[in-house]
Amino acid sequence: MAIIPLALRSAKLFRLLPALSALFVLVGIAWLLVLPLDDYSRRTYISENALLPGSVHTYFAGSEQNVFQAYREEVKALGRDASSDDIVARIGDIFKGQGLKVGVQKYKYTASGKDYEGKNVYAVLEAPRGDATESMVLVAGWRNMDDVLNESGVALVLALARYFKRWSLWSKDVIFLITSDSRAGPQAWVDAYHDMQPQNVSPLPVKSGAIQSVVVLDYPTSSSFDSIHILYDGINGQLPNLDLFNTAVSIAGKQMDIHTTLQEMYSHNDGYSSRLHTMLRGMVNQGLGHATGPHSSFIPYHIDAITLQVSGHGYHDEVSMGRLLESLFRSLNNLLEHFHQSFFFYLLLGARRFVSIGTYLPSAMLLASSFTLSAIRLWVQSGRTTTTITPACETPQRALLLPTVFTLLLHLLGAIPLYLFNTTTSTSLTTTFTNFTLLTLLLPIAISYLLHTLLHPTQHQLTLISCISLLLLGLFLAALATLNFSLSFLIAVFAVPYPLAHAAAGRGKCASAFWVLLLQVVAPTMALVGVAKYWGEEVGLILEEAAFGWVVWRMWTQVVVWCVWWPAWVCAGVMACSGWWGKVVEKKMEEVEVREEKEEKKERKEKEL
Amino acid sequence: MRLRPWLNSLLLLFLTTTVCAYVYKDYDENLLLKTLPNNAVLASFRFVTNGTYTNHHSLFPRSLAQILSHSNTRELHLKFTMGRWDAESWGAQPFNGQTAGGTGVELWAWVEAVDGPTADKRWTTLTNALSGLFCASLNFIDGTRTIRPVMSFTPDGDHEDMDRLHLLHGSLPREPVCTENLTPFLKLLPCKGKVGISSLLDGHKLFDAQWQSMSIDVRPVCTAPDSCVLQLTQTVDMVLDVERSLQRRDYPVPRPRPREELNCDPNKPYGADGSPCFPRSNIADLPWSISEVFGRPLHSYCPLASEPAEHVCLDVPQERPIYITRDSIEVRHPDGRRCYTLPPAGDFDIILPQQSPALPITPFPEPPLYASRSFTGHGQEHGGVKAVIKNPHPTRPVEFVYLESLPWFMKPYLHTLKTTIYPAPPATGDADLESPVTALYYRPAIDRSRGTHLEASLLLPANSTLILTYDFEKAILRYTEYPPDANRGFDIAPAVITVLKHSPSPQHTLPYTISGAPIQQGHGRVAIRTTSLLLSLPTPDFSMPYNVIILTSTVMALAFGSVFNLLVRRFVGADEVAGKKKFGTVVEKIREKVRRLKGKRKTE
Repeated sequence: MAIIPLALRSAKLFRLLPALSALFVLVGIAWLLVLPLDDYSRRTYISENALLPGSVHTYFAGSEQNVFQAYREEVKALGRDASSDDIVARIGDIFKGQGLKVGVQKYKYTASGKDYEGKNVYAVLEAPRGDATESMVLVAGWRNMDDVLNESGVALVLALARYFKRWSLWSKDVIFLITSDSRAGPQAWVDAYHDMQPQNVSPLPVKSGAIQSVVVLDYPTSSSFDSIHILYDGINGQLPNLDLFNTAVSIAGKQMDIHTTLQEMYSHNDGYSSRLHTMLRGMVNQGLGHATGPHSSFIPYHIDAITLQVSGHGYHDEVSMGRLLESLFRSLNNLLEHFHQSFFFYLLLGARRFVSIGTYLPSAMLLASSFTLSAIRLWVQSGRTTTTITPACETPQRALLLPTVFTLLLHLLGAIPLYLFNTTTSTSLTTTFTNFTLLTLLLPIAISYLLHTLLHPTQHQLTLISCISLLLLGLFLAALATLNFSLSFLIAVFAVPYPLAHAAAGRGKCASAFWVLLLQVVAPTMALVGVAKYWGEEVGLILEEAAFGWVVWRMWTQVVVWCVWWPAWVCAGVMACSGWWGKVVEKKMEEVEVREEKEEKKERKEKEL
Repeated sequence: MRLRPWLNSLLLLFLTTTVCAYVYKDYDENLLLKTLPNNAVLASFRFVTNGTYTNHHSLFPRSLAQILSHSNTRELHLKFTMGRWDAESWGAQPFNGQTAGGTGVELWAWVEAVDGPTADKRWTTLTNALSGLFCASLNFIDGTRTIRPVMSFTPDGDHEDMDRLHLLHGSLPREPVCTENLTPFLKLLPCKGKVGISSLLDGHKLFDAQWQSMSIDVRPVCTAPDSCVLQLTQTVDMVLDVERSLQRRDYPVPRPRPREELNCDPNKPYGADGSPCFPRSNIADLPWSISEVFGRPLHSYCPLASEPAEHVCLDVPQERPIYITRDSIEVRHPDGRRCYTLPPAGDFDIILPQQSPALPITPFPEPPLYASRSFTGHGQEHGGVKAVIKNPHPTRPVEFVYLESLPWFMKPYLHTLKTTIYPAPPATGDADLESPVTALYYRPAIDRSRGTHLEASLLLPANSTLILTYDFEKAILRYTEYPPDANRGFDIAPAVITVLKHSPSPQHTLPYTISGAPIQQGHGRVAIRTTSLLLSLPTPDFSMPYNVIILTSTVMALAFGSVFNLLVRRFVGADEVAGKKKFGTVVEKIREKVRRLKGKRKTE
């Protein structure tokens, strides 16, 4: 910042600022687009040598399959809609019969007026002569994320529990967890494991040591499968250690010869477009910060977790999956330390290619700083007098009170939609959203009108409002980029027109109208509709999911959307409209500058003469 | 020939002195086998040796005696423990928990010294010497891991002047107990694991147990004020998983059995076609024998042990059929135990055949308390500890002492120490009376020199659960203070819960006697230990110290630069400021000079 006086003393440089800002945007977006190229991404590798993936012989086969089939029959007999009491009783009996310690946990959450309740049942396989300090968890939801009965998944967990019990080599306890659903159940369990549970979630009767890693199994069919789809996104865009993902990919590929896919890119040809698609899909999931599977709930507790999901039809059956899990748990069992060697911040382009934070972060940072540059420009502009350039003898006084209070109030106003969408009951969510969208279309115009009629702000103050708003946006987005890169990047892309909209006020009424219309297209509410279209779901369901995430998963994406993005959007709208009822539009800066230069030249000539 | 009567009288004198000095026999050993639920078997080996520091003819191991006398240690308790005692299915620990320690190594001793610093010096001598003797890292029990418990421990031996004795206690929860600790343990025995019950102690079997504990207790025992002996009790308790032991013999790798060998449930509707098989639970008793479970039969008996004696006892239901080797005599005791004398030569084996239907197995009686402890919260800055202690007895309240020895880098906040009782006792209006804490001893930690010592005496009403919680802060260590594998975390020693004045039920007094004198341990106290905990501290990335330094410096510089700027500068456009020329760049300055020169030339 200290360079401003130096760099901006030349009017040329000052005029270059918008171009520089635009350049930052272009470079930021182009930066992201080159990441899938071979030169900018890297092949994945196992960083933690203790893991030794795929180096053990696996024995899960033979009669274990008969046992598995019997367990699957048991699961099928209960069915998808069995009451959680029945599930808990039956699964608990099977675990007890295997000689494991069984615990049951009851939970109930209320989000957007709906109750989510169920019971988790879990068994602890105490490592022989182990000291109860560390544990690994194998999870299967009774119903998976799509609400389908996870018949083979649950059965395989039961069969593996019986199989693992016979080994003496476990250095960590193994916990087998069956949750009655895949969304609230895992969260209730992991919260209670750390004694952080809300009131309606009961504490755990049996506990083991610190959880080192979690593997979730989603195997809802009885037929054979072709490939394994690995889910790795955590809540709020946090990711598990890349080593865990790599170990699963490596074991599946090298030892079991199973193809692995991610981000629903089932036909990935490792070309540029596949990689880019995978990365963008990953960024959308990360940016939304929701749970993509039962594993997501564990990641905020610094527990590395992934979900293995079967996909396609092929020649692999439950034995392949069982052996994969056996090998994976043997690898995890080898760990002497908590996962720490590999990356926690990465973008995956394919199962075997990734970009690390050092490479991708600049793109979001460039986008964020483009707003800061615009803000700097406005700040300088606000200091200039309008008519002639008076060789200033004193630093200009800026009227900061109104702009600061106004911008802060706008940001505080974000609390209203935040509260509204997280507390409205699910039945009225869609209507609330429609009303809110309509209201929000008119809101900038209304605020702008009120601002102008009640407070009569000067052009100087208006410039400062724009400046502070953009400065805050740049600041928030830069900070957010380090926490959730994708969210920051996506918001920045939507916010690219804001600086232009701020400048529109001075370009006449038509320009104002154009920018107001354009802003409606990139409004946060429109983005929400876009997300709904992208997933082919109703907006109401998305909002319900968001409210559920707020209550159960402690998602904070909404805070960013309603308290950072939405106020910045409203402010841009207000500024764009101000052209309609602003007083005399003051002369453009450019004209002033041109005159300035001319006068300078004149002066020089006079001097020279 | 004149010499013989003199020699005889000398021999007589020697014998009488020996008899007078040693009321007890010098050495005895016995083994108790008890079946426990879930196909577990408790094998409890006990070896008792009497001796003195100085008598070189006694069986008391000289190596240990020298260490004890050199460090002025009057009573010593050293425990090596691995695994977890499953109190819910097995009941109370044998011998009131006095023979087992917490996970890893636990050591406490009464050292004779005039003052504290001298005691500390002798304690260091003791730990270092024992470290060499038992191949364990006992030398790592330094000042930060040593505490002086005030309520939890009482001496077992007969001591004369208690004022000069200092109790010191230290533990190493991370110490893995293995064969290198068993070998020196066996070397202390007079029969060195060659014959007698110690011949069953094989590292492979011992360390495959679900729970195992080796303990060494040395204490002075006096029958009269002037006739004292030093008694060494070595105990090995282990709980074997019969199913896994048998399977390891048959299948070293637990491959899936052929389907025909599976115990399938025929009542299931889907099993008819022979493919799916619902395995029946293995709650039924498996047949086993000593040679199967221990990998070898018991070889003869130790000739140095008192004889004839019942060296092996079995605690199984009365009706259970048992086969034993010939030349052994069975003695049935009224409490249900069956004891056997060992044959003078050859091997001894006990076989428990398959039986149907299985007889119900009685575990040990219910323990006075169930205890568990865990961490709460998450993050690298703060955390909490939650201990859940349950009194299962319907009528009897339990008075106990809760002892925590925490490392200095885990800093508890004592004001957050809270106790809650469920179900809540009736309110009396007096907060002091209602609190279950009757006494509290707290010695705060000093960074890098001593750990926290917290001891609370509590009273828990009958049939209720006590939840004890406190918060702590995690310290940031210097980078040299991290152990290898720093990202694993730090092990926190188990909490020791000592139940005072516990009246033992009849089954608790086990038949361990030497020549009829019962071995008293702990004065009827019961010791219960929780599991150890894993504390993760903020850990630097050791593989990239360079990056860390660079990153921190950059962040510091950026933060400092920006804050400094914000504080001292006003942000204005360059042309708004008077004296604009001040900001001229070098190029402009040169231009200006050139211009001046030109001007000069023109004027010239």
